[in-house]
Amino acid sequence: MKVLDRRRMILVNGVLLALLAFSVVGCALLGPVRLDLSQALQNIFSANPDAEILFRARLPRVLLGVAIGGGMAACGVVLQALLGNPLACPQMLGVSGGASLGGILGLILFPHWLLPIAGGLLGEISWVPLAAFLGALLSMMLVYRFSLFHGRLHPYHLLLSGVIFNSFIAAVIMFLNSIVDFYQAQGLLFWLMGSLSTRAYLTVAFIWAYIIVGFLWLWAKGLSLNLITLGEEAAMQLGVETVALQRQIFVASSLMIGAMVSVSGMIGFVGLMIPHVVRLIVGSDHRLLLPASFLAGGIFLCWADTLARVMLAPAELPVGIITAFFGGPFFLFLLYREGRRKLAL
Amino acid sequence: MNRSQRILIVHCFVGSLSLLCGLNVFAQAATPAPRRIVSLAPSVTETIFALGFGNRLVGVTTYCDYPAEALKLPKIGGFMSPSLEAIVAKRPDLVIGVSSATDPVKAREMERLGLKVTLISLASLSDILNSIKGIAELLGSPDAGEKLVYKITEQFDEVKKRVAPAPRRSTLLAVGLQPLVAVGGKNFIDELITLAGGENIAGNAAQPWLNLPDEYVVAKAPQVIIEAGMGSERERSAKHWDDLKSIPAVKERRVYAYPSDKILRPGPRVGEGLEEIARLVHPECFAESKRGPNKGSGCEGSRP
Repeated sequence: MKVLDRRRMILVNGVLLALLAFSVVGCALLGPVRLDLSQALQNIFSANPDAEILFRARLPRVLLGVAIGGGMAACGVVLQALLGNPLACPQMLGVSGGASLGGILGLILFPHWLLPIAGGLLGEISWVPLAAFLGALLSMMLVYRFSLFHGRLHPYHLLLSGVIFNSFIAAVIMFLNSIVDFYQAQGLLFWLMGSLSTRAYLTVAFIWAYIIVGFLWLWAKGLSLNLITLGEEAAMQLGVETVALQRQIFVASSLMIGAMVSVSGMIGFVGLMIPHVVRLIVGSDHRLLLPASFLAGGIFLCWADTLARVMLAPAELPVGIITAFFGGPFFLFLLYREGRRKLAL
Repeated sequence: MNRSQRILIVHCFVGSLSLLCGLNVFAQAATPAPRRIVSLAPSVTETIFALGFGNRLVGVTTYCDYPAEALKLPKIGGFMSPSLEAIVAKRPDLVIGVSSATDPVKAREMERLGLKVTLISLASLSDILNSIKGIAELLGSPDAGEKLVYKITEQFDEVKKRVAPAPRRSTLLAVGLQPLVAVGGKNFIDELITLAGGENIAGNAAQPWLNLPDEYVVAKAPQVIIEAGMGSERERSAKHWDDLKSIPAVKERRVYAYPSDKILRPGPRVGEGLEEIARLVHPECFAESKRGPNKGSGCEGSRP
């Protein structure tokens, strides 16, 4: 493991932060339609198409993409450490399945419910994300209960119950999908594929609040996470309260994943791949790996969503297709290069 | 063998071939019209009822809900996933499916089991009209098909006449808002929008249905937005677009919800569907005056 000092920490995170800022600006300026920036900035508050494209259609979406990409990558890092499994990813915890089912039920049963925000003063938003979040909370409790083994959260059981729970939920979703109206089924599929499309700054703010709090909490556990990757017993001997740590990480990441899936659906691959890519580059010290993965995840999803908007313009592709299509080969390349470097040494 | 002999032989051969063909045509005409039909699509069911042969249907899909009599017919499964067993058990003498939806493997399987299977294409308006004629012919009653197609073309002409004086309005027709799924090009609904005096803002897309980003809608500035599909509500649709005031449809309150799938079905109600779209795109052309339907008044000036 490379030695972590303040300089390296600042250097890596600083570079990534600059890249992220560049990406946010770049992605907000790129899209399937041309944007006149001077027009957009001149009359921000009047009904001006350029301003609406920039501030209504693109910016909230880009900001949401950064939050979701960062959150997914951060959750991937801690889950891979917690479960001691390189294949662990946010989609594996059972929470994402629960959130999807909640959202689907919301869409089928009461598709047109609206939630008034602050008594309707701040407008109304669809209640589907709330239904999805409730589903996530419920499934988190279920998976937690099934993973308890002699009073403690067992990584092995957590992994298995999560995977089984998710495939069970997938079956329920496919069942629901086959009994609803044809056009509704199309809508459900689009929702399941995941999208960052949003115009509600309120939703974006809600997600950012969740992600920031959850991320800081996880980051504070960075050192303990380093120790737990040495093995549970070793960590315990070194003074880590593994039982409490496992529980806290499970709850924190579940809440984050639940919130993320409820607004953007299942966007795969970011949470699995980004932690590995970043680990290959900056090493596996979680105090650096966590923030670096967060920033890298944000950058990656931001660009993936921009590609999703422009590649088949005017049609928008599900962003999950882009993340897997470009992320997969890149990841394999890094893995291959790493293998060769090890051989050469 | 000299040249004339050779020609004679060839003539004989061709002659006997044509005679055989003639016999074949005769034999086909002599086979009785099918009496036990299974329909694999709601639009096919509607067409058979509209032709007056609803009593010959022995099986329909769970999505076949129009006309009401179709609901009482035995079900053979879903639109995309009909049950082979249920179809065979009905002992049909004709199965009609849609080429874009019916699984070709299943169709082949049915043929292997000795069923007569016909797949029709419903990708464009002319496909729809041809399919009506085709089904009528299969049922041994081409006149009923001609009559129904004539009725639909008359409905088309009536709408075309009404909207003719009005300028084209750019139109977005969506079936879902979150995410936004819109009618693209190569879709009969795109043709309906054009006939209704509109211009589909996503009409140049290669896909018949597509997920549109919001920014595209803002940039294309549609003058009319229609949300079609069951359960659409005007108030909710209007609210969805409320923050994008630069869109003319939002500014001029031309955001409509159309809570029926009449216009979405490529069946015999396509003429009525066209009128429904036209009434939303150009309501002023359908404002009834006392002198009769919009007599020469030109509808561009008289907004309701």
